[in-house]
Amino acid sequence: MTSRSPSPHRAGGWSSPGLNTPYNTSGRSSPMRGYANGGPNNVTWASAQARSAEVKGYPAFSTRNQNFFGRHFRKISASLPFSYAEKEKLGRGRWSRYQNSWLGRLLTMIGRTIWRLRLRFGLLFIFLLGVLLFYVTPLHRLYRGASFLGGGSKFVIILAANQGGGVMEWKGPREWAIERDSVKNKKKYALKWGYELEIVDMSTKKRYAHEWRESWEKVDTIRNAMRKYPHAEWFWWLDLNTFIMEPSYSLQSHIFRNLKENTYRDINVYNPLNISHPLTAEYLDPETLSPVGDGKPDSINLIVPQDCGGFNLGSFFVRRSVWTDRLLDIWWDPVGYEQKHMEWEHKEQDALEYMYANQPWVRPHLAFIHQRKVNSFPPGACGDKGDDPRIHYKEKDRDFLVNMAGCEWGRDCWGEMYNYRQLSNRLNRNPWEKFKDWISDSIKAMKEGKKKEEKKEKQKQ
Amino acid sequence: MHFAMPPRKTSRPPPYAVRNSRSSLNALFRRDRLRFLAVILLGCIGTIYLLGHLFSSASSEVIPAGTPLVVIVTAINKSWDPAFVEKIKKNRRDYAAQHGYTTFFPSSSDYSLRNAPLSWAKVPAMRHAMTLFPSSTYFWYLDPTAIIMNRSLSLTSHIMDKERLESLMIVNEPVVPPDSVIKTFDHLKGDRIDLVVAQDKDGLCQSGFIIRRGDWAKYFLDAWFDPLYRSYNFQKAEGHALEHIVQWHGTILAKLALIPQRTFNSYVPPPSGVKVPGVYAEGDFVANFIGCDRDKRNCADEMQPYFDHLAGKGPAESDD
Repeated sequence: MTSRSPSPHRAGGWSSPGLNTPYNTSGRSSPMRGYANGGPNNVTWASAQARSAEVKGYPAFSTRNQNFFGRHFRKISASLPFSYAEKEKLGRGRWSRYQNSWLGRLLTMIGRTIWRLRLRFGLLFIFLLGVLLFYVTPLHRLYRGASFLGGGSKFVIILAANQGGGVMEWKGPREWAIERDSVKNKKKYALKWGYELEIVDMSTKKRYAHEWRESWEKVDTIRNAMRKYPHAEWFWWLDLNTFIMEPSYSLQSHIFRNLKENTYRDINVYNPLNISHPLTAEYLDPETLSPVGDGKPDSINLIVPQDCGGFNLGSFFVRRSVWTDRLLDIWWDPVGYEQKHMEWEHKEQDALEYMYANQPWVRPHLAFIHQRKVNSFPPGACGDKGDDPRIHYKEKDRDFLVNMAGCEWGRDCWGEMYNYRQLSNRLNRNPWEKFKDWISDSIKAMKEGKKKEEKKEKQKQ
Repeated sequence: MHFAMPPRKTSRPPPYAVRNSRSSLNALFRRDRLRFLAVILLGCIGTIYLLGHLFSSASSEVIPAGTPLVVIVTAINKSWDPAFVEKIKKNRRDYAAQHGYTTFFPSSSDYSLRNAPLSWAKVPAMRHAMTLFPSSTYFWYLDPTAIIMNRSLSLTSHIMDKERLESLMIVNEPVVPPDSVIKTFDHLKGDRIDLVVAQDKDGLCQSGFIIRRGDWAKYFLDAWFDPLYRSYNFQKAEGHALEHIVQWHGTILAKLALIPQRTFNSYVPPPSGVKVPGVYAEGDFVANFIGCDRDKRNCADEMQPYFDHLAGKGPAESDD
């Protein structure tokens, strides 16, 4: 030791030069673990503390009687049915007390299996708990909404409220009810899958728009939505008189994950307008002349269903792209409008049909979708019978959406909406609800059966 | 005798563990080599990713060797004198040969115009040229009333190069003079321009324009050729239709560059006409005898001195 001043040892003690014996070993390079509790010649803080603790009446080093369990463990364990002692006496480690009944044996076996596989069971439990938490908390909505996970925020639902309303037509209670129901239905759907919902008021626009463009605001509305949601890819236009019957279908799984199979490019598959397709003008390029464009799903920018009268823009999809910009730009043109506005009863719908027929650049990027995939009609639209398998809603097939197109002309919009809402609720009951309904239904049936019997008896008498 | 516990392991383990296999695979996955392996793996993935990107971008745009950069399109009226038409064609062919361009001379009557004036044929003619030369970059439409006077100018360095076009562009000016409220955009980049036209005192000169091939070009030509425009009886047919779509549709205006008229569409005034701006002067790229096919004028006669000049026989302008 060269230093004479007190300095800390590596082992945690203090070297006090005056107290050290000649046999001091502090010259060692390695710490002396062996005397950490206080060797006879080496006074450390720990040893001094231990000694003072002994003076106070507690043992310096004690592993027993430190807490309640420590003190009473033996008593408790001895009173347990499967105690150590008994184990030795009877049955050699088997819980023989329960071996008498088959249930006991079974339980023992299950218990032992669980214990043996405790790691695996623990993992399974944690996994199930995680799944449960995922769906109980809003976490699954976040997941579905994130563009890099579920991709929900890539879809925007544009719901046109107040169509044709405004100053000209006051809304009655039925109209309010329709709007409330329709909006609620879409809100729920959008929330469930993480989509964006844009409810646009079509009536207010009229006051500002040019007189000519009256009721052509679809284009402006879609443009505004594209500006508002700059990261969304697909925009789904929905008229107000629509009802999503199967909220459990996501747009991705229903259409977009397999766009090629779910759409058709060649209008000849279903061609109510009799548009000649493909084009034949010899000056056009092969892609434009092809009946299916380039055939790749990436080139689809507009997805339109067709009803019995041609294109239907009650429910259609448009993708953000340069092509779409051009289409939205050229869709309304004063020269076309001036010549055709008397003829084009359905305005932008007719204009789109016209462009499809007459401007070759439109065809390679437009795809059709089967009407019943996104836009089933109730009976009353496109034929009163409602039995066209290409157009009309069928409960058995669980169609995705019902569009009560044209219900404002002589049909009961609210009645239809109500019926379809009830139907949708009934089709999408969970098992518990189904069980409850089954019980109440059977009770009702029994009561009615009794009544009938009583009536019959009365009649007999 | 029963043992409650399994027999103990020996308390004297061997000083080294016996290696049970000496395969090279094990050596490869030894802990100290793992980092090395990870680096190699990352490198492989990165290379594949990069290569994939390179090839995907390359495959979308393959221009085969020997493709002419520019296609000069002139729609020919079949009723014209064949000798004169041959002169027009030769004028373009000579220029094209000098720069490695190519020419395309469809007949106006090849296309069904639905009773619209024959001058509409230029639109499907351009679409046709794009179909025939799917890899060429620029398509230059030039009316048969014009002749190329300065063969030394290449279309790219004279007009279409990015910097050159940006310096030529007339920005923030009414599209249709003198007082259209629609003005050309002032922030366009030269390489984003898909349509180049000149402007004369009445409006856009659709007698000569340059289009860059692409989806936009198809859109533009198809929109221009819409039957509703053809049936609308615009006073100047396709000329007014062009002015109409340029002014009403932003996606078209955003791709348009107006350049000074004399850059590639100088007018030669009619013999009896008044002097107007944009008149041809010696050294100009193109001389356009605008309207020489109408009003009992004779293109062949008016052009003859210019053809002679090109052939080196005399001055172009016959001063009287």
